[in-house]
Amino acid sequence: MMIPSDHFVRFYNEVFKFLEAKSEKDLRDYWLEISRHQEGHCLELFKTKGLKGMYEYWEHIRIEENCDMTLTLTDDCLKLEMHKCPSLSKVLDNDATPSMRYCDHCEAWEAPLLAKAGYYCVYDLIAPDIPKCKMYIYKDKELCEKKRREIAQRNS
Amino acid sequence: MRYKDTGELHMDFHGATNTTIDYIANKYGKEALVEIFHKVGKDVYKSIHEGLKNDDPSELIEHLNYYLTREKADYTLTENEDGFVLDVKQCPAVAHIKSLGLEVSPYFNLQYIEISNALCDSTPWQCTTEIIGEGEYRQTFSRRK
Repeated sequence: MMIPSDHFVRFYNEVFKFLEAKSEKDLRDYWLEISRHQEGHCLELFKTKGLKGMYEYWEHIRIEENCDMTLTLTDDCLKLEMHKCPSLSKVLDNDATPSMRYCDHCEAWEAPLLAKAGYYCVYDLIAPDIPKCKMYIYKDKELCEKKRREIAQRNS
Repeated sequence: MRYKDTGELHMDFHGATNTTIDYIANKYGKEALVEIFHKVGKDVYKSIHEGLKNDDPSELIEHLNYYLTREKADYTLTENEDGFVLDVKQCPAVAHIKSLGLEVSPYFNLQYIEISNALCDSTPWQCTTEIIGEGEYRQTFSRRK
């Protein structure tokens, strides 16, 4: 039986649990491999078109992955506001147990790739069982750190 | 049927499946991949597995028809006295991986075999898988004698 493309994230969730049981390093090494794999899809676009290229990429993802997401592009920031993440929603709507680390994979593959393009990102996660989050991408590292402090302060 | 996705398809996920299969098999060995596929078969597809335990393959048949049709596979599913035969002439996952310019993992076929074996494990059903070519396979699901 083939894993349908619609069910990839449930397979992904099983892979995370398998690696998590081994070690944090095993899990993170896999996410880095995914990040390297994703470079072929979007690194050149991000390098050449910057935030506009990222907007194009995630707009395509928004449609293809049926995301309820708002993208807001300004001169210095791209904000992705996920109102209902289809990926985590499927992992939660699952007869198998969800990995409590599931949400971490996004930042783990995106941050290294964005860094290679000269950009920085910060995530605002709510909870591992609530399919909502926000991501902010900046060219300016200081603006990113400022947002990171703001999120940390609000969550403390 | 427990899962019934609608809306847009994101076929590139097959590329990610292929990369993951290669990564796990090369780093942890084939047995690790088999372990993960068995979890998928028994836990993710618990409802299909439970159906087979109760000698009811209807959800498995519905699932195969639904997702192979949704992904525009070239296939036939023929029911007979002993069970049913699934003939996939062109697996849509393999076709898409090749269209991405990626090499299909030598372990890619394991998903067909091991997920099906896990579904049938400890049930009155069994599955034999015949790999005919790249992306072409036949699965015979039948009641154990």
